[in-house]
Amino acid sequence: MTSWFDHTINGLIIGNIYGLLAVGLALIFGVSRLINFAHGSVYVVGAYVGWVAVSVLHTPFPVTLALVVILAALLGIAIERFGIRPLAGAPRIAPLLATIGLSFVLDQTVQILFSPDPRSVPMQLPNWRLEIGGGSIGMLDLLIGGIGITAAGALFAFLKLTKWGWAVRATALDRDAARVVGVDVDQVNRIVFAIAAALGGVGGVLVGMYYNVITPTMGFEATLKGIVAEVVGGVGNVPGAIVGSLLLGIIESYGVALLGTSYRNLFAFLLLIAILVLRPNGLFASRHQLPPEPMTGTFIAPSKPIGLPVPLLAALAAFAIALPLLIDNGYLIQTLTNAWLYALLGLSLTLVAGTSGQVSLGHAALLAIGGYTSALLAADYGFPVWLTIIAGGLMAAGLGTLLVSPAFRLRGHYVSIATLGIGEIVALVILNWESVTHGPIGVAGIPPLEFFGRPLYDTNAIYWVAFAIMLALALLQVRLLSSHLGRTMRAVRDDDVAARSFGISLNRYKGLAFAFGGFVAGISGAFTAHMYSFINHETFNTHISVLALTIAILGGMGNVGGAILGAVALIGLPEVFRIAAEYRILLYGIALLLLVRFRPQGLLGTV
Amino acid sequence: MISRRTLLQSGTAALLANSVGRSIAAEPTGEPIYLGVSGPLTGPNAQYGAQWKQGFDLALDQINGSGGIKGRPLRYIFEDTQSDPKQTVAVAQKFVADKRIVAELGDFASPASMAASPIYQRAGLVQFGFTNSHPAFTKPGDFIWSNSVSQADEQPLNATYVVNKLGFKRIAVLYLNTDWGRTSKDHFAAKAKELGAEVVASEGYQPDEKDFRSTLVRVRDAKPDGLFLVSYYADGALIVRQARQTGVTVPIAASSSIYSPKFIELGAEASEGVFTNARFFPEDPRPEVQSFVTTFQAKYGKEPDAFNAYAYDTVVLFGQVLREAPNLDRTTIRDTLARVKDVPSVVYGKATFDPQTRRVLGAQSAQLVVRNGRFTLWDGVKTN
Repeated sequence: MTSWFDHTINGLIIGNIYGLLAVGLALIFGVSRLINFAHGSVYVVGAYVGWVAVSVLHTPFPVTLALVVILAALLGIAIERFGIRPLAGAPRIAPLLATIGLSFVLDQTVQILFSPDPRSVPMQLPNWRLEIGGGSIGMLDLLIGGIGITAAGALFAFLKLTKWGWAVRATALDRDAARVVGVDVDQVNRIVFAIAAALGGVGGVLVGMYYNVITPTMGFEATLKGIVAEVVGGVGNVPGAIVGSLLLGIIESYGVALLGTSYRNLFAFLLLIAILVLRPNGLFASRHQLPPEPMTGTFIAPSKPIGLPVPLLAALAAFAIALPLLIDNGYLIQTLTNAWLYALLGLSLTLVAGTSGQVSLGHAALLAIGGYTSALLAADYGFPVWLTIIAGGLMAAGLGTLLVSPAFRLRGHYVSIATLGIGEIVALVILNWESVTHGPIGVAGIPPLEFFGRPLYDTNAIYWVAFAIMLALALLQVRLLSSHLGRTMRAVRDDDVAARSFGISLNRYKGLAFAFGGFVAGISGAFTAHMYSFINHETFNTHISVLALTIAILGGMGNVGGAILGAVALIGLPEVFRIAAEYRILLYGIALLLLVRFRPQGLLGTV
Repeated sequence: MISRRTLLQSGTAALLANSVGRSIAAEPTGEPIYLGVSGPLTGPNAQYGAQWKQGFDLALDQINGSGGIKGRPLRYIFEDTQSDPKQTVAVAQKFVADKRIVAELGDFASPASMAASPIYQRAGLVQFGFTNSHPAFTKPGDFIWSNSVSQADEQPLNATYVVNKLGFKRIAVLYLNTDWGRTSKDHFAAKAKELGAEVVASEGYQPDEKDFRSTLVRVRDAKPDGLFLVSYYADGALIVRQARQTGVTVPIAASSSIYSPKFIELGAEASEGVFTNARFFPEDPRPEVQSFVTTFQAKYGKEPDAFNAYAYDTVVLFGQVLREAPNLDRTTIRDTLARVKDVPSVVYGKATFDPQTRRVLGAQSAQLVVRNGRFTLWDGVKTN
């Protein structure tokens, strides 16, 4: 009995910590309708500013906090001014890519300045502990809770009672209308980013003191949990974010109590999906909230895609085929093979997200399903590899569509968050379903690729097969998009109400898009598994889902050629920047920011 | 500490565009011999790549300071992969095509390292995994070698220490839920049972986990009389801190992977009294350990940890292999790996490969306990 009490306390303690991030994310989401992937990086910067204050400047605790608040707020203002505001007129998806680029730049800058070693942040509060249940809680737990609740309360009062608060809420409700009645929307955004960043920074230093460890890479995981907590509470709802965080903490804690530690995140993401399916606006959303806007299509003037002449495309394809004969460079060929495999992933996502408007943030799961299906069938059951690769594609199509079908009724950014959760669930099931997937040990000794029964080891041969598969599926997708299917999918994306009134069954077309996209991604995952010879649950991780989205946005949403170009650019750039050693990922982030700044509709334009 | 030196080091690294290993004044002139290193310098595992570099550089100082290899200096080319499989396969192609490279070291995590193995095996370049304990790592073929401590070798030592010497009878195991952690846990649990102890709880956690309070309450309810951690130093430190906060008061022991001064820094007072079975420790009188520890402290101003030692040992080993090899063909290097005997080693004492498994057995063990903020030799006091 006391254990359940302890589990509840523990859940509240970790929920407290999620709350510090969720409040900031909720505020930004409420006003800008933006999943801010850079928020976790602000948290990292806050933690390191705190570390410098405590360990180098030896400031007392209130001064430490003040320094963190000021610097993090300035960083938030800078992010808004230089990262987000220039994209005000761009497609809604562009600022999302900008925040991804910003998070690379910020995390890498911290890592270069402070080294990747974990650091300890000495606690500046007296170490009084309060015995409660079988364990104890410290001053810092109470302080974190206090700051979370105070911040939420103060924000609530600010939003309800002050003129700027009204302006923020008006902007959140309807940006254009707010501008018409004279609200300085830029100023509102600046305030929101400053407040959210200050909270995120404070969160970083307090969590650093709580765990006595900070690392430059701790932001990503924190952002994921913050997003879940925020959705549970209701996007854009600040007090809801606090309650959502505490609830998430408690559910996770009970999950561990019931089934064990390796199921912890499974509970978190199942809660997320349940909330999205049952109450998509969160537990505390008001009834009269505007329906979410789609992230692509509708109100954006679709850019004019750059049409490449067919002879040029044919010449490029011929060049790609001849390349291994022209130069003997295994490194280049391997990098391009990777690019073709990621182009398949990009094709899949650009169809699902760009053409039918379902922006997926869990696309790595399709690779994983395809990869595991093919690897297990070939390694454990001895089926021929060409057959298992096709089976991998079919399984990803079927299972992927089935898994994502609860999200079909969702719109706009909720689809992204739901697919993010589904992606995590797939990875966790792979980790925990040991009797089939071998769990953390992974699948070793996966048979090599084969071509009509002959094993393929040669780098060039693998390159040609990968290119041929990619080209065939790309041409198939072009054919699909120019048929009535393509037109219907674009109609669903652009205006689902109008599409429905024309008698289009939305779910059926969304399902078709996921099935074709799932097949393409599944083939890519299966091919990769045989090329690598070893996969485990970490091979296809969340970072790959983010990369997939980056490829699709950068190439131009819905654009087949764009997905291929985007994959070549994004797989190629880190290799090109290899010369810069530790700085290469920083350069990659900067390149991403510049591309999205000057080409927000994608390199080849949205279709 | 962020010192001016860290800033300078990263600055210099940028100048040395492709991260070629440092050279020192007295080194032999002549065409350098290169090892290729594939490892994380950015991304979530970047700290391990940085520790590798320290170990490599120290070993190179010693090799090149004493005449190098056949009158030529030994260097390494470090390519950052973020321990990401799609980058390790590209780097593998780069290394196999680079005729200057005689052998490859790394990568860090299993998915990244093993994805590249078919390329190295096929091209006939030795892939030498020195942190790869995955039981299938060396299986792809005769060019895949490892001197990583086998968990089948290490964990029975830990179980013996914990059960027979410390007197744990009801053990709760917390392990990192990766191929390494899981394999370690299984070997540990099997030996502990054989010695008559009972494993009353075993909890696998994700590498990015930070909150262990709920796990520890679950563990506490299983009423163990001792905790055993299969952890790295950062997560190990988090667990020992939170154990005391959740009212877990039983003694804690951990596998050698937590052996790092950072464990004590991050764990602070909660690391006091934690037992471990390390491969070496600074007061270890063996000459190879003394030479490693004192030169490391002189060069970096801190105590070395397990990852520094693995990296150092590996380059020292290759120093001997390259000196003994009749020529520097890649195949000759492989054959020489099978032939070298009793190479002085911090981790093994004397390292010799089993040509069948292409691994080394016989890791050293030093039974340690944290006292007054330092790892010290265990004083023989039972806990239970």
